[in-house]
Amino acid sequence: MALLSLRGLVAGYGGITAIKGIDIDVDEGEIVTLIGSNGAGKSTTLRAISGLVRPRSGTVAFDGAAIDRLPVHEIVKAGISQVPEGRGIFHRLTVYENLQLGAFQRSDAGVASDYERVFALFPRLRERARQTAGTLSGGEQQMLSMGRALMARPRLLLLDEPSMGLSPILVDAIFATIRQIREQGATILLVEQNALMALEVADRAYVIESGLITLKGAGAELAKDDSVRRAYLGEA
Amino acid sequence: MPSPAARWKDARAASWDRLPSAARPLAWLILSLVVLFIPFFDDVWMRMFFLVALYVTLGIGLNVVVGLAGLLDLGFVAFFALGAYLVAIFDSPVSPAVNGTVNYWVLLPAAVGVGALFGVLLGLPVLPLRGDYLAIVTLGFGEIVRILLLNMDNITRGSSGLYELEKPAVAGYRVDAVSEFYVMIVIAAFVAWFATARLRDSRVGRAWEAIREDEDVAAAMGINTVKYKLMAFATGASIGALGGAINAPFIDFVAPQSFTLQVSINVLALVIIGGMGSTQGVIAGALILVGVPEVLQFEETANLLEKLGWLRDGMNTAIDGLNGLSPMNLAKLPPADEWGEKLALYRFIVFGALLVAIMIVRPTGLFPSRRREMEFAQTSDAELPAGGTV
Repeated sequence: MALLSLRGLVAGYGGITAIKGIDIDVDEGEIVTLIGSNGAGKSTTLRAISGLVRPRSGTVAFDGAAIDRLPVHEIVKAGISQVPEGRGIFHRLTVYENLQLGAFQRSDAGVASDYERVFALFPRLRERARQTAGTLSGGEQQMLSMGRALMARPRLLLLDEPSMGLSPILVDAIFATIRQIREQGATILLVEQNALMALEVADRAYVIESGLITLKGAGAELAKDDSVRRAYLGEA
Repeated sequence: MPSPAARWKDARAASWDRLPSAARPLAWLILSLVVLFIPFFDDVWMRMFFLVALYVTLGIGLNVVVGLAGLLDLGFVAFFALGAYLVAIFDSPVSPAVNGTVNYWVLLPAAVGVGALFGVLLGLPVLPLRGDYLAIVTLGFGEIVRILLLNMDNITRGSSGLYELEKPAVAGYRVDAVSEFYVMIVIAAFVAWFATARLRDSRVGRAWEAIREDEDVAAAMGINTVKYKLMAFATGASIGALGGAINAPFIDFVAPQSFTLQVSINVLALVIIGGMGSTQGVIAGALILVGVPEVLQFEETANLLEKLGWLRDGMNTAIDGLNGLSPMNLAKLPPADEWGEKLALYRFIVFGALLVAIMIVRPTGLFPSRRREMEFAQTSDAELPAGGTV
């Protein structure tokens, strides 16, 4: 059974229906990516999973239990952690405080060693631990946002456009880290506009267009698919 | 050599419990204020210091709501009124609803509790609101409470108010002198400060700050935003009620006209002037916003101004000259011995100008929260995880 499964999920804002009934499964230990153009409904899908947007209909099941009616903080507690679009770091708090907040709902003894784990993944954050997060560069803020999500020791990590606004070198670094996190046993649902990178790292992929899933398959397979190449990989 | 994990734990404990050392200078300051002011000042001055300390207490309370949790509350006066009325209703002989009196020391904690309860009651309907919308609704709340108090004459006696309150007694001794009430309010201010400082440095404080920064992301961190927002309202409200409960027997006249929007604005203004989130700021703000207007109506101030009679004569000569040149017919300055009186009348203009000046020169307030700086200074290398091998 899948760790996360969406069935007929419909969600939106006000009069707009951003996703119109989608099914997605994420198995334990997988990296699954959801690719699509701007406004296709990628972020809404993640927000509906994490509870920031209430689904209008359909279900979100996590580890066999429905979570689509739980408050956001309960969903975090259940083991889903999100790296929000635009990073959503707390600018006026320090890097260290941001990480502390990532582990907010935890009280186990493992928190201490998880700072180490995050600092090992992102050495820059250790150097900058005492700075206010607003003084970090874009790439460092992305690292902080990911590190903070990892502090929750999630069973499922939701990544919303981690490559957005970063230089190619930093994008490479971020994706290298995503691989590293996966090797440590995390399950990741990755939303990306950078389809090439996303398909490279993902086990499986879904293509979303105007709120509907139009294609799905293994990441490597979709990377070879003609329509995907034309639409998202910039080939004529 | 302790393991990195153990060191982390120590560091966290140290950073969250470092209050005693941070508390010391402020505790000494407050204690020395008490000791210094009681013997040397007459009641007029003591009244001013009482008022300043009262507003420090209120400012500390509002600071939790506005400074830490970022919830703009313009109805803070409601809780101040609530505490005052709770004491007055049970301790005034003219109270129409209650016969006899209840011990003040029972009413004081009750006021704090009822304040917290009403803080939650206000918080519940405004949970989805933010920023300016929240400000408008809380403003309305403050007015509703005042109008209710005005119209519930079978309990509050409306604008006639409640008076002749039973004075608080300590072991048979009745607190009566201004300086004794001053000691009471200073103790209250200290308790309020200590409690809020503890909360600020705990995970509750972290949650409040996260909510202030970005409520959605705070929720995504697993913070129960509903719970912590209500906690902020309750904490602020209970401190407001505490101030009201001490002020009631002191002024000995509790009536709706004392609980206008002006009070909420004053408290908010002193928090902002002082620098949001900092206690020194609240003290400085209260001294300027509450202390200065009071001092401006003192006889001493008038006497001091009288010595400037030569300035008046010079300016009047100049005004005479101007009047001869133009049809403006400017009014001459009044005799110097009336200056104090005039200044007292125009004190809000004086202090309005002061506010504008401060906000232009120091938009972050006089003492911006030093928490951040302190954290930088105190996070020694030992508190950070071992560096090097990564």
